[in-house]
Amino acid sequence: MIDREVAGSLPRKNGELVFESPWESRAFGMAVVMNEKGAYQWEEFRDRLIERVGRRAQEGTSSSEPPTHYYEDWLSAFESLLVARGMIEPEELAARVKEYQELRRDPVF
Amino acid sequence: MGGMHGFGPVQTEPDEPVFQAAWEGRVLALQARTRGRWYHLDEFRNAIERMPAARYLDASYYERWLTALETLMVEKGVITRDELATGHATAPAPQPPPRPADDRPPLRPRFRIGDRVVTRNAHPRGHTRMPRYVRGRHGAVRTVNGPFLLPDTNAHSRSRDWEPVYAVEFWVRELWGLDSDDCVCVDLWESYLEAET
Amino acid sequence: MTEQRSHQHDRDHDHHPEPPSEVEARALALESLLREKGLISGEEIDRIVSAYEHDIGPMIGAAVVARAWVDPEYRQRLLAEPAAAVAELNPGAPNATNLAVVPDTPEVHNLVVCTLCSCYPWAVLGLPPSWYKSAAYRSRAVSEPREVLKEFGLALPESVRVNVWDSSSDLRYMILPERPAGTEGWSEPELAAIVTRDCMIGVALPQVPAAVRS
Repeated sequence: MIDREVAGSLPRKNGELVFESPWESRAFGMAVVMNEKGAYQWEEFRDRLIERVGRRAQEGTSSSEPPTHYYEDWLSAFESLLVARGMIEPEELAARVKEYQELRRDPVF
Repeated sequence: MGGMHGFGPVQTEPDEPVFQAAWEGRVLALQARTRGRWYHLDEFRNAIERMPAARYLDASYYERWLTALETLMVEKGVITRDELATGHATAPAPQPPPRPADDRPPLRPRFRIGDRVVTRNAHPRGHTRMPRYVRGRHGAVRTVNGPFLLPDTNAHSRSRDWEPVYAVEFWVRELWGLDSDDCVCVDLWESYLEAET
Repeated sequence: MTEQRSHQHDRDHDHHPEPPSEVEARALALESLLREKGLISGEEIDRIVSAYEHDIGPMIGAAVVARAWVDPEYRQRLLAEPAAAVAELNPGAPNATNLAVVPDTPEVHNLVVCTLCSCYPWAVLGLPPSWYKSAAYRSRAVSEPREVLKEFGLALPESVRVNVWDSSSDLRYMILPERPAGTEGWSEPELAAIVTRDCMIGVALPQVPAAVRS
């Protein structure tokens, strides 16, 4: 994984950073890989993303530019789909999140 | 599925569970190969849920998977209980059903390029893919595409309704009252549209 | 096999590590649970991320445009069966399923947006820039496209119509810009070099550098 200082010096084919932070790239990667493995169809994921993006537009919280919330919505859509498919239980997810927040688990895999 | 460790010990980093035995890796690989071809994930989960409680509680994670796989393969007619018991195949396995994508029907569009259409305001499923700005608006069919699966407002499963999708052209003059010949094309599923009368 | 994953908080210097933010913790939690359940591996995620950070990007679309400019039959194939035509130039790359290619003409300039979320032709352009996903672009591209284009430095004459394409379905749109004057005799790589990502979204036109023009 490349942290921002290093990434800034690499030629970027798109002209800008693809991901602002490592967590965004993981959220992106997980959603794409799980789709490729057949866990869900892409448009099912997209339905949920659209819902979240739409909700934000209605709440008027999408005014910040650049859109810092995009991958939050992405992650939230992914999470809800996994729960709906029974691959993740909300309780175990909540417990695991707490472990990371309380530094009881090493964030480096 | 990448990293299909079926045989022998697996090198992992700390905190990641190792397969306790080679058979666990094979179960994982089996599931990865059969899922989506013979059964959907929902059915797999359901097969685990159908295990007798005592057996479920005694079983390890991969033992549950193996049981679910056994159940499904017998129910789908891939193997018989006898074959399972003896470990010997007595007949060739049947062909798996076509993948969901394979059952895409031929395109039978109701509308043609140039047809004038109007978007519906009310729809039984809710127009999850109709942008608000074209609701109840008149336009003309530019292209005919698909069929694509109709998005479903039901959070559980995607309905398997295939419908043609049309790029419908709307004038900005009509949409926004601008004095302009510019237009916006929006992709709309057939059931979102009615013929303009 | 040990995976090193560099991390926003430089651990070499850190005696008091900062806890991850809520969203970072959620991403970590999801990944760790999925890995434990054997549903995904870190390498699979790494591979996809790396592909989109390095290999899949607008250079793919640029090569397709350049080929279409020099080869009229390729252009026809591209418009008729986009995925197959893209695969001709990129046999190893992910399939550009549901790609639709819209050609600019002297009378019509095309522009792509996804008002509902952020859909974008990943296979030929990689991942979209932040502005493409912004509420401002998503709403204004359909309501005042000319003003948006002006802000990108593109002022179109009144004689040219703007046609916006809202990717609300499974289709993913890519614009095939017109070949600019002053590029006669150019090689495909030279042509591809002036086809930027923004040209294939429709917020820019391929530019012939001034030095070359004279």
